[in-house]
Amino acid sequence: MTTLQSGVPSGPIDQKWTKHRFDMKLVNPANRRKYTVIVVGTGLAGASAAASLGEMGYNVLSFCFQDSSRRAHSIAAQGGINAAKNYANDGDSVYRLFYDTVKGGDFRAREANVHRLSEVSVNIIDQCVAQGVPFAREYGGLLDNRSFGGAQVARTFYAKGQTGQQLLLGAYSAMMKEVAKGTVRLFTRREMMDVVVVDGRARGIVVRHLVTGEIESFAADAVVLATGGYGNVFYLSTNAKGCNVTATWRAHRKGAFFANPCFTQIHPTCIPVHGEYQSKLTLMSESLRNDGRVWVPKQSGDTRSPSNIPESERDYYLETRYKSFGNLVPRDIASRNAKMVCDEGRGVNGELAVYLDFADSIKRLGQSTIEARYGNLFEMYERITGEDPYSVPMKIYPAIHYTMGGLWVDYNLQSTIPGLHVIGEANFSDHGANRLGASALMQGLADGYFILPYTLGHYLATAPLDPVSSRHPEFEKCETLVRDRISQLLAIKGSRSVDSFHRELGLLVWDECGMSRSEAGLRRALDKIPEIRDEFWASVMVSGSGAELNQTLEKAGRVADFLEFAELMVTDALERNESCGGHFREESQTEEGEALRNDTDYCHVAAWAFSGDLSKPVLHKEALTFEEVPLSQRSYK
Amino acid sequence: MTKTISLTLKVWRQKSGNASGKFVTYQVPTVDVNASFLEMLDVLNEQLLLKGEDPIAFDHDCREGICGMCGAVVNGQPHGPQRKTTMCQLHMRQFQDGDTITIEPYRARALPVLRDLVVDRSAFDRVVQSGGYVSVKTGQAPDANAILIPKQDADLAMDAAQCIGCAACVAACPNASAMLFVSAKVSHFALLPQGQPERQNRVLEMLATMDRERFGNCSNEYQCGAACPKGISVSNIARMNRDYLSSKMRLS
Amino acid sequence: MASSSIGKKQVVAITGLFLILFLIFHLSGNFLIYKGPDAFNAYAEFLENLGAIKWMARLGLIALFLIHIVFTAMVVIDNRKARPQSYEVVKSVIKRSWATRLMPYTGSVILLYLIFHLLDYTLADHSGHNSIVNGQAMELYGLVYNSFQNPIRVAFYVIGMTAVGFHLTHAIQSVMQTFGFYHVRYTPIIKRVSLVLGIAIAVGFASIPFYMMFMQSSCVTGG
Repeated sequence: MTTLQSGVPSGPIDQKWTKHRFDMKLVNPANRRKYTVIVVGTGLAGASAAASLGEMGYNVLSFCFQDSSRRAHSIAAQGGINAAKNYANDGDSVYRLFYDTVKGGDFRAREANVHRLSEVSVNIIDQCVAQGVPFAREYGGLLDNRSFGGAQVARTFYAKGQTGQQLLLGAYSAMMKEVAKGTVRLFTRREMMDVVVVDGRARGIVVRHLVTGEIESFAADAVVLATGGYGNVFYLSTNAKGCNVTATWRAHRKGAFFANPCFTQIHPTCIPVHGEYQSKLTLMSESLRNDGRVWVPKQSGDTRSPSNIPESERDYYLETRYKSFGNLVPRDIASRNAKMVCDEGRGVNGELAVYLDFADSIKRLGQSTIEARYGNLFEMYERITGEDPYSVPMKIYPAIHYTMGGLWVDYNLQSTIPGLHVIGEANFSDHGANRLGASALMQGLADGYFILPYTLGHYLATAPLDPVSSRHPEFEKCETLVRDRISQLLAIKGSRSVDSFHRELGLLVWDECGMSRSEAGLRRALDKIPEIRDEFWASVMVSGSGAELNQTLEKAGRVADFLEFAELMVTDALERNESCGGHFREESQTEEGEALRNDTDYCHVAAWAFSGDLSKPVLHKEALTFEEVPLSQRSYK
Repeated sequence: MTKTISLTLKVWRQKSGNASGKFVTYQVPTVDVNASFLEMLDVLNEQLLLKGEDPIAFDHDCREGICGMCGAVVNGQPHGPQRKTTMCQLHMRQFQDGDTITIEPYRARALPVLRDLVVDRSAFDRVVQSGGYVSVKTGQAPDANAILIPKQDADLAMDAAQCIGCAACVAACPNASAMLFVSAKVSHFALLPQGQPERQNRVLEMLATMDRERFGNCSNEYQCGAACPKGISVSNIARMNRDYLSSKMRLS
Repeated sequence: MASSSIGKKQVVAITGLFLILFLIFHLSGNFLIYKGPDAFNAYAEFLENLGAIKWMARLGLIALFLIHIVFTAMVVIDNRKARPQSYEVVKSVIKRSWATRLMPYTGSVILLYLIFHLLDYTLADHSGHNSIVNGQAMELYGLVYNSFQNPIRVAFYVIGMTAVGFHLTHAIQSVMQTFGFYHVRYTPIIKRVSLVLGIAIAVGFASIPFYMMFMQSSCVTGG
């Protein structure tokens, strides 16, 4: 059994990163161009890493499956990015951001990592402003801040409702600058099919050119995965359609441990599912809960239109149950409560939806104020649903939004495969069991701009790296496997579409491993997933050939990996018999029905190794210690 | 309860960039009006697939109107008939029962068709590579609040920076010009103090690349601004024209 | 300047702007026709006798026209090539103005018109038999008068001037955009001014053939 070395440096928490940076070996600037680094993914983490490594002088190869590296799903983040700048003079500090993040993550993240994240958060804002990111400003010309996701300080920087877009375009432009200089080479419309490991070290990747279908090999001295989360295992999620687990799953199969895959985040304010053809869910910014009131009819089966339901027959369930936080309870609590009332049959028209009602706010503040605050969101809602939220209450329901789990990495962001580094949502590191609002953007950019460029240098400076070319037998072997798998998918010529399998899998894990999980349900899922997988490999229909732009084939490969990954996610959920953050086990709750953490048995990271048998992953534990933030139970009553 | 409509689709089918293409007509009998345009295509594709035909290839990703990956010309208009709406956010309630909808790829020499409705927009990346950035390296930044920017300027810069790079402007332009795209990027930086040191070179270089990529030029028809799903203003083109002239004069 | 597509457009715009100024100057001279033959012929003679200045002006105008035409042709050809395959369904997002769409065509009509116009008057013999009205030599005024007794020529001139009108209504506002002037409040005003000015110049020029056609010959010589 591999022992997991987190590699957290010794010393006081606020000195660890500084000390570590000094202790790490450096690569001489003149030698950097001799090293080739592959970065897969061009979201906030991947683009910022590629740009920074290119600036330092490394020879960087950047890959993405989209037609341009500007399109990664980081672009869809609406709300903002946290930083401990304390510009609002409300008592914020690096320590407070650290404290809030550890606590918000329900004590399942590494303290040292979180502190480092908080430290570099301030540099991120500086960097982005210098790049020309048009953050919102006050009339005096200084940066504006808002409070977000129930935080008690205003530490969130934002650019309208498009913060992710602007930050990503900042990182993208930094990377384009390096492309112009020749330090970064772009490979768009390439899907990573496998990591190539030579002599125990990650030395390259095999990709499929999505236009020509060609299988290509690229060798390097280190590989960085920045390939995002696996939310699409649920089929319906707020993720982009292309988001997938393939890169991290293939790395897992090659020896990288997968940590805490059951930690998934559900966002309470999404537009509900409206039909079987539905392909994705759309998030409505969390800020809506500041002025909207959540309710359902008191009686199940009440199908009257909302305006005909009198005040006395409405259940403002969040306000009644959580007196002090009301509609602003954290995401997981708001989501679970919506599920509970809908399970009782009290959802809107008996469907999976609850009302988010702005009538009171409009009465109190006037329609123009509400329009100024949420105009663009209301417009988007109306475009999608055809209903006017100024006159009819919005209908919302929770949806999968982010995944805290990911490939296990040490303090240097290196996975259990030497030379394979994992950054951004793709790794498991900083959010524990629950991510706070406006922290995903922060982590992606922290990893890419300010952490990986140092730690990767240390790896390159210390690892014995013999030259390896893409004609090495390992690459050939890997290419053959990739080609075989593609031929296999194309040869089935069955009777069911890829999407039908994806939908079936998604529905299953949503029901059994979604907002609320029970042993019985998880076991049902564990029985069912291999069946769906077998059925997939027996009767999926993939038309066309491998030597062309074939979107069905792309989807099929991704769904095949989701079908393997799902089993691990459910296994992890079953193993973790406690409720924490986004993971709610029905067996582990208080008398009032709130999540009950079990620190005696589960205060650890569950890192799973691939054993060769999909149904028998091997669990490794990294114990978590909390020296700075004392373990305590969350309460929002 | 859900209303459905019946449609005839005329879709451009082309196997690859080198192959010749043609329009193929499909009958889609029961389209839920609450479905998005892309979901309507998903349903059709699933039917085609199970009949053993190749599904229609189209680019898409976020399906919430921000990634800029989707886009085709629907009944003569990029992203379809609804203004300030990407194709993925266009919903079928915008159409009537019995409608014929023609779907064709963006047509421009600079955006060659790769398959069906998928075009190659890498020219946009190359335009950005030639100057669409501030040359600051990681770690060189001063404190964020050391740079004061009047709110009006920051807001205007944000308006320009909203571009999603979908290329609807090129598709809508009678000359297949990328002026709106290029000018949005140029304006974003021209309006901010961070963009000033490289302002003159930026506009000249980006425009040179735009020409090299063989986009057309502007005849001031303003179709681009009207077609832009983010409502980017043609005033950015004027700003770029001005910047071009002054840069050319100062640098020559 | 001419190396880039914007540069070419700006060359077209600046030459166009000078040509508009020339048109305004030309029109104000033409209006002397309403003051009668003496004033008009005196003005014509004054221009004839400018000597070197006249030739400089003529060469300048020729150069302006040539540059305007050649650069326009380059821009138009580039633009055409930018979309090798046209759309099956053509439906513009906002209504396309005819003035804008027809720019290259109105321009071509103007060029054609210009050649005839120069042959008609500038290069014609101002004291030949065509200038005689009711047996009196009326010089250029007479030449103009006689030529517009022919309704076909009047029609031709009116068509030419319609082309000029269309061309200018787009041109004036377009010049502003091409040189980078755009303002939320003023740009719509400029567009209106452009329309009015374009029509005014065209109507101003076109009024003369009509005036001449409907004027009695006795009025010419009697004056």
